[in-house]
Amino acid sequence: MPPTAFDRMHRKVQKWVWQQGWRELRPAQVAAAGPVVAGATDVIVSAATAAGKTEAVFLPVCSVLLDEPASAPGIRVLYVSPLKALINDQHSRLAALCADLDIAVHRWHGDVASSQKSAVVKDPHGMLLITPESLEALFVRHGAGVTALFGTLRYVVVDELHAFIGTERGAQLQSLLHRIELRARRRIPRLAMSATLGDLKVAADFLRPGHGDAVTTVIDDDDHQELRLQLRGYLETPPRLDAAAAEKAEQAGGEVTVEDVTPGDAIAVAEHLFTTLRGTDNLVFANSRTDVETYADLLRAKSERSRVPNAFFPHHGSLAKDLREHVEAELKAGGQPVTAICTSTLEMGIDIGDVASIAQIGAPPSVASLRQRLGRSGRRGGPAVLRLYVAEREIDEKATVLDWLRFDLVQSIAMVQLLLRGWIEPPATDDLHLSTLVQQVFSVIAEHGGVRPGEAYGALCGHGPFQRVTPSMFAELLSALGGNELITQMDDGTLLLDVAGERIVNHYSFYTAFSTPEEYRLVADGRQLGSLPIDFPLLPGMLLVFAGRRWKVLSVDDAHKVIDLEKSRAGRPPRFTPSVLPIHAEVHAEMLRVFSDDDFPVYLDERARDLLAEARANFTRLRLDTTHVVAAGQDTALFPWARSRVADTVAAVLGAGGLSVQRSGPAVLVTGVTPRELADELAILAPGGAPDPVELAAAVGNKASQKYDPYLGDRLLDVGYAARSLDPEGAWQFFNRALADLRTTSGVTQ
Amino acid sequence: MTDVQPVTRIRPRDRDALLQSLRAGVVPRVGQQHIQVGRAAEIRALLTDVDRIADGGSAIRFVIGEYGSGKTFFLHLVRSLALERKLVTAHADLSPDRRLHATGGQARGLYAELMRNVATRANPDGGALANVVERFVTAAVTESRDTGARVEDVLQTRLASLSELVGGYDFAEVVAAYWRGHDSGDAQLTSAAIRWLRGEFATRTDARAALGVRTIVDDAGVYDQLKLLARFVRMAGFTGLLVALDELVNLYKLANTQARNANYEQVLRILNDALQGTAAGLGFVFGGTPEFLLDTRKGLYSYSALQSRLAENAFATGGLVDYSGPVLRLSALTPEDFYVLLGKLRHVYAGGDPAVYLLPDDALTAFMRHCNERIGDAYFRTPRTTIKEFVNLLAVLDQNPSIDWADLVANVDIEPEANPDLAPVPDDTADQPEPQPSTDDELSTFRL
Repeated sequence: MPPTAFDRMHRKVQKWVWQQGWRELRPAQVAAAGPVVAGATDVIVSAATAAGKTEAVFLPVCSVLLDEPASAPGIRVLYVSPLKALINDQHSRLAALCADLDIAVHRWHGDVASSQKSAVVKDPHGMLLITPESLEALFVRHGAGVTALFGTLRYVVVDELHAFIGTERGAQLQSLLHRIELRARRRIPRLAMSATLGDLKVAADFLRPGHGDAVTTVIDDDDHQELRLQLRGYLETPPRLDAAAAEKAEQAGGEVTVEDVTPGDAIAVAEHLFTTLRGTDNLVFANSRTDVETYADLLRAKSERSRVPNAFFPHHGSLAKDLREHVEAELKAGGQPVTAICTSTLEMGIDIGDVASIAQIGAPPSVASLRQRLGRSGRRGGPAVLRLYVAEREIDEKATVLDWLRFDLVQSIAMVQLLLRGWIEPPATDDLHLSTLVQQVFSVIAEHGGVRPGEAYGALCGHGPFQRVTPSMFAELLSALGGNELITQMDDGTLLLDVAGERIVNHYSFYTAFSTPEEYRLVADGRQLGSLPIDFPLLPGMLLVFAGRRWKVLSVDDAHKVIDLEKSRAGRPPRFTPSVLPIHAEVHAEMLRVFSDDDFPVYLDERARDLLAEARANFTRLRLDTTHVVAAGQDTALFPWARSRVADTVAAVLGAGGLSVQRSGPAVLVTGVTPRELADELAILAPGGAPDPVELAAAVGNKASQKYDPYLGDRLLDVGYAARSLDPEGAWQFFNRALADLRTTSGVTQ
Repeated sequence: MTDVQPVTRIRPRDRDALLQSLRAGVVPRVGQQHIQVGRAAEIRALLTDVDRIADGGSAIRFVIGEYGSGKTFFLHLVRSLALERKLVTAHADLSPDRRLHATGGQARGLYAELMRNVATRANPDGGALANVVERFVTAAVTESRDTGARVEDVLQTRLASLSELVGGYDFAEVVAAYWRGHDSGDAQLTSAAIRWLRGEFATRTDARAALGVRTIVDDAGVYDQLKLLARFVRMAGFTGLLVALDELVNLYKLANTQARNANYEQVLRILNDALQGTAAGLGFVFGGTPEFLLDTRKGLYSYSALQSRLAENAFATGGLVDYSGPVLRLSALTPEDFYVLLGKLRHVYAGGDPAVYLLPDDALTAFMRHCNERIGDAYFRTPRTTIKEFVNLLAVLDQNPSIDWADLVANVDIEPEANPDLAPVPDDTADQPEPQPSTDDELSTFRL
């Protein structure tokens, strides 16, 4: 009989498993043991939440550490995680596992005391749990010491791999892992834990760029969980006071409450949340921090009016750490029932215990994120419960054809359908990550105290993770940095940081690869509540809602970026600019199917059914099953039904041609142009064929979206933008199709 | 090209040591004069410095030159001159781990490196700190014998003058502990005292347990410790202490503005002491590149107090020279200089006998042409690898007289120097096709 996964474990690890009282190892744990112990390949363990991924990776890792005692000082296992909270969580889990095994577990992130960090540097051993940002700081600050820390590294573990793929932080992580291997002068097996992924090949290529084929994947998508689902439709009704009236009332010294400025449908949603969720632990996901604050305040006020203790708390990235941790602890403790109203912050990994149900307000941003959110519910065998709340606009004289089609509702239904079929978006990996490359160039210079251009190219691009960057692009990037006086060159060719570059690298904000908007700290009674990106004027005397409470602004200190608040009985939620995720082509295709279908999904409530029926009727009336162009009063609506990039490109091309365009859901609205006029435009455009995406990008404004984009120079910015956001081929295919539609439907001939 | 026909004979011992060092890619410790090219005025200037130090004065020089202008070689030459004049020398290269000022042990790292490299005429290869201390004690014993005073009393008087200086009290205590160990045959105590002086104690607790002193040589005390050492070596019968610090460009490369300025401030302190003559019997020679000195944003010139003190003589232009200022410029090695150098190497290899030269003059030009084709002008700008390969070539010709030099020259393999920590890891290259050199060319010659 061949050795079982359990037999491969070290005796002490086996003992720990017995002590847990486990009858058997979970499927992922069995499958991962062999390849992890062998240590010859990289491994991805992909499984649903609570499938025992952490143990699947760390039981065999600990066994290996016990079997091969350290021969020299140095960290033996490096664990990288996107969240500090997750590190804290894993730290306590791993400390419990490693206590009997004599393996030290250290954590290292922004909230860890520097004395603990210097102790690790002085005497490195055991496991180190760290964020990519702290790892970056290690390279910049300890440069030469990195070899001593990681020279004897046995494994690298990446948690929440799916959260890294395709993002700026992901590119940073790849670069950091590669730089560790350069220091250790050998390949180090990378072990990754991930939620269920749409495309494991993409994940494998991400984990080991250029060698994804050699990555072993362990999948446990055994999803027997029962799913209970409801999608509730609402009709938008205006708030009691509109923005102008609210301002007026405030200036007149009156009190404006959240209820006054919140649309009626949101109040109705809050009512439903209050009655159904009270008494159990739940997570309510909203698509923006503004929504989180609104609902948290509505529910808190409702609790107070009903004279019951408040059980609804906000949780988002701008809140102060202790407020966030309080909510997490309450959810975990399982004493008083608690419902957290959150953004994607609670989407990921922290073990928050049993949650009775999940609510999603507004259309979900993606199928992947919907699945992630759903995974937080019913962790311990119970059914997963999901409620979706979608509000659609009342059809009045101002409504456009786009409102008639109920895109939010149809998109939500399409995403649920795809979720039920087990489909998930593959992560987007088109980005060249030039912004992150700038950061890594700075960091490599700081690490080595100067680097030659050819060596930097080799380390980062040639044999590093930025493989799609060519030498000439890299030279262009260096020239742009030199032009901005960020780097300088010595006579022997060595690149160094210039004074301006030094200022960037010496500031603590350098370590993050993604941009963090300038934020004001909100302080009440000397206690920090959180921070707020200010993109609207905030004046003393104004009222606002934050951290689920109502406040009055006492003073705004622009120099120190501090806003003083005092408690108030009234307030309005601050506006946060929401981020919009691109929609995958498959979701648009599914929306088309939802429109053309006759059946009504069983999970719709009565209002949602009505809205869907109305949307389908309008869809047929507009003949959208056959045409891609629809007249909408004075305007024309275009429906590419492809990935949102195509619609973006269509909008960019037409906008560059002098037309006024708007993006709305899957459609592009060309305002002030009739289909006939548009046909003339397209007749000129289409025959020319798709232009070079980089040329097209040059016509687009506002391209600098990532942190170091402003230093790239115009041409590289175009190159990056074209790779990330444009699809001229798709756009031109659509132009030809639209032109054909226009000629048949409106009888336009040449 | 100049004609090279030196006629000096070379001692076999010098010849072997010289060639061994060159083949290992390091500057030789003896016999540098045999391969020295030019620089007579510069050497004279440094000789006056050395004499001034030996005379109880102080000196400071910034030897500034491009990469490959032979700064390191020049510094070693100066050191050997200083040793001849009975100075004690200490030398070290600055690096990210070895700086003049630091808070994380890097300054102590520099001090420890300097102490490992303490050299005297009798021990030119370094590691001579123990001998210096031993000599100090022996001198005290001799004096006690001559005057009849107790050794302890003689030591006491001598050490009293040390105690006046910053950190001197514990320094004196440690030397006294060395004497006690020496006197009582306690080897542990003597070695602890030497370890303390070398800056090898990392914690005060250890130092207190071993020697009963409350302090150790830490990051903040490095320069004060060198001043103490300068006075100490004079008491031990040497004429002074010359500290040679190379690769100061590493301070320029520090990416942290604060850390860099703190190091420049330390340079200023040393400069002030030297120019005012307050550091008796102590001299410093620094080696650095022009950008390290001249860059007004990040170089020494960015520190205005240093800029005004180091500004070069405005009259020394257009062929006029001034070798008396603190800054000494070394011009870069030219291909002609390099030709002379190769000639000298050939001469050294032949033991100084032109009759047994292994190569004709044509071979020297052929070799230079070949290197130029391989790595461009880096062959004479960073001559370390080129020299190494040339000596290797001579060795092969020497042992295989039947081979034609022309075939060998064509096969000389020279790679540009590179940072080994940025090269691809072996696992990544194993399964990838050969990297295309054409793509790297664009970047190897890239200029901002």
